[in-house]
Amino acid sequence: MRSRVLFARLAPLLACVGLLAVWQVAALTLNNDSFPTALDSIRAIPSILGDKEALINILASLRRMAIGFGTAVLVSIPLGLLMGRSRSVASFFNPLLMVIYPVPKAALMPIIMLWLGVGDLSKTLVIFLGVSLPVIYHSFEGAKAVEEKMLWSGAAMGLSAVERLVRIVLPAALPEILTGCRTGLVLALITMITSEMIARQSGAGNILFNALDMGQYDTVFAMIIIIGGMGIFLDAAFERMRERLVRWSEPQFDIPLSFS
Amino acid sequence: MNGRDATRDVLLGLIPIALLLAIWQGTVSLGLAPPTLLPPPGLVFMRMAQLLATASFNQEILATLFRLFAGFSIAVVLGIAIGLAAAVSPAINAAVRPVVRVLAPLPKVALYPALLLLLGFGHESKITLVAADALFPILLSTYYGASTVEQKLIWSAMAAGTPPREILFKVILPGAAPSILTGCRIGLVISCIVVFLAEMITSTDGLGHVLITAARTFQAVDMFVPLITISLLGLILNGLLQAVRSYLLRGFPEV
Amino acid sequence: MFVSDVEKAASMNLMPSRSDLKAEAAPAAKPTIAMIEIDHVSQVFQTSSRQDHLALSDISLTVDDGAFVSILGPSGCGKSTLLYIVGGFVAPTRGTARMKGNPITGPGPDRGPVFQEFALFPWKSVLGNVMYGPRQQGVKAAEAEAQSRALIEMVGLKGFEHFYPKELSGGMKQRVALARTLAYHPAVLLMDEPFGALDAHTRTRLQNDLLNIWERDRKTVLFVTHSVEEAVFLSDKVVMMSRSPGRIRQIIDIDLPRPRRRTELLLDPRYQKYVVDIERMFDDAGDDELQP
Repeated sequence: MRSRVLFARLAPLLACVGLLAVWQVAALTLNNDSFPTALDSIRAIPSILGDKEALINILASLRRMAIGFGTAVLVSIPLGLLMGRSRSVASFFNPLLMVIYPVPKAALMPIIMLWLGVGDLSKTLVIFLGVSLPVIYHSFEGAKAVEEKMLWSGAAMGLSAVERLVRIVLPAALPEILTGCRTGLVLALITMITSEMIARQSGAGNILFNALDMGQYDTVFAMIIIIGGMGIFLDAAFERMRERLVRWSEPQFDIPLSFS
Repeated sequence: MNGRDATRDVLLGLIPIALLLAIWQGTVSLGLAPPTLLPPPGLVFMRMAQLLATASFNQEILATLFRLFAGFSIAVVLGIAIGLAAAVSPAINAAVRPVVRVLAPLPKVALYPALLLLLGFGHESKITLVAADALFPILLSTYYGASTVEQKLIWSAMAAGTPPREILFKVILPGAAPSILTGCRIGLVISCIVVFLAEMITSTDGLGHVLITAARTFQAVDMFVPLITISLLGLILNGLLQAVRSYLLRGFPEV
Repeated sequence: MFVSDVEKAASMNLMPSRSDLKAEAAPAAKPTIAMIEIDHVSQVFQTSSRQDHLALSDISLTVDDGAFVSILGPSGCGKSTLLYIVGGFVAPTRGTARMKGNPITGPGPDRGPVFQEFALFPWKSVLGNVMYGPRQQGVKAAEAEAQSRALIEMVGLKGFEHFYPKELSGGMKQRVALARTLAYHPAVLLMDEPFGALDAHTRTRLQNDLLNIWERDRKTVLFVTHSVEEAVFLSDKVVMMSRSPGRIRQIIDIDLPRPRRRTELLLDPRYQKYVVDIERMFDDAGDDELQP
């Protein structure tokens, strides 16, 4: 049994190695100049991370991402919970959110840049917009599903409306909220990269496309590994935290189910 | 829900949209923002009507729709097939699960440069990116739906004489349909978003390209039009899928 | 070591084939053949903490053709598991179950289940659900539909053919489930607490209707329940089970005249004595859920 647990832990790692191996073989068979092998790309990583300017760029990207994600979560959870518990609030915001839903948030970058300039504010705002919707949606669903009788019990114990929201609805909806946050986290990374690809000013996405333009193909693929690694690491770290926070809830699937 | 409540909900929902338009118009009218940066809403919608009448703009829409549907269809077929296979076969599950765990949180858009290098700047790279992004929600919800089909439904069908290999299509697939369609809905919205972004990053046609062209020439009006168009396209496609969904799931309890 | 303990325990608890409750006169002699034989069946489950849990311990039971047999016991005594083994849904850890002398290796249309959860196909209408079995057996569509309509009428749902399960009440759903199973003519009905999810009133009506339907062709029925009254009212034979590990405590023949009418039976002292005696036996065992 212990060996099976060990295997389950190692399986994602094995999958990574497997995918890199497939890449290596594919690159060797295609033997194309613009498709470096996995090993060549991995060898290019240290030179990117060793470059001070690139490193500062990437860290600045991550800082914007953290700020955008943090503020989005702080605003979206209360809004989603209120929508879930009040029909009026829900029908007030739902159509607006439905209209915004299919708009690519990173596509707002050119317009926002027009208004707010190319600075951190524009980029952070776009990330904020990208993260908000899934967090609102999942908080809404989670709050809506809270058992009415649990709230009645709370009211009978003398909790006020606000106290019920904070002390009953919030914890009861927590598993669902965290699912939203997990989706939001990955989306924050995606929005960050995409907006940098579109704005082409600085950041990880910009390094990627500059390398593409200059034909430094191993740098392109090395950046892909770095960004992919960030996504996988952030998701795994968040999952660790989520498991601790909602240990009481029914076990969920260990892979994210929602990408809305 | 009765009629009056429904009307009230619709009216309430219109308030923020009307408010947004009013603030937009107000900002321009009061001279808080120059029209070159924020064109008044009337102008934007007129420009949109004007463009929708031109063949060239419709060409752009068609280019976007083609990539969207091609990518989305690939994602639907692969997602449902792999999801079902992983739910039914423990061997496939053991192989698929860790790979999905690694690939699902990977920002697919980062692969776009690689796709450009491998598949060129034409349709193929964009379609592949759309398919890669839409695949995972569909795959995961298919897997989830198929592995939570009630055991006793399967037993009932087996007792009625259904051979094991038919169970997959006669019980598991229809039983997982609600979950699969939810996944498709998420996948569709993601397809809308991704196709637009891919066209913005590099393309010679499509709605995303229209936006970028307008941005390069600082035509604020023309920047709003493709954004509103993609939002409307998303809403229409979502509505169509919703109609398909309520037809296919007419027997299922409301979710 | 573990196995021998089980066997020792089982040998000490030899099942009495006749009980002290058995009435004097034997039922009218009728040539009976064994429809189902359960032969030294044990079932071990692995719990999440990886411990072996003995759900069924050395069960042997014979069900005659045309008999209505109830399996009665507290929750967790493995009575449903026993039914699933006969259905071929679950393979026993040890021992064999046989149907008409042939070992059971999987589900088949000769044994039709009716579950507490109804398990109707939500994507099919009432008619679609009932027609599923006959169509699967290769019956032509028109014929299957005619048969199914007749069955739907028999269970009292004429006019509901095109309704979806979600539009029906629990009692109606269970009627559809019964019709769906009867539609492919199983030789044995396997009923897993079929009325457990229904309110008392609906439950009574369905019990009466089930008996009426059963009187027509007297199929073999294996009926799992935790209600003593239900078991005595419906059955020819009540198999009493005990918990942890699940084993047969006693088999009681219910010697009450048929066709049974509920209103008459409730006043019948023999019926009352069966119910009271069985309840007393369960009480004496102290076999309640509080036991760790």
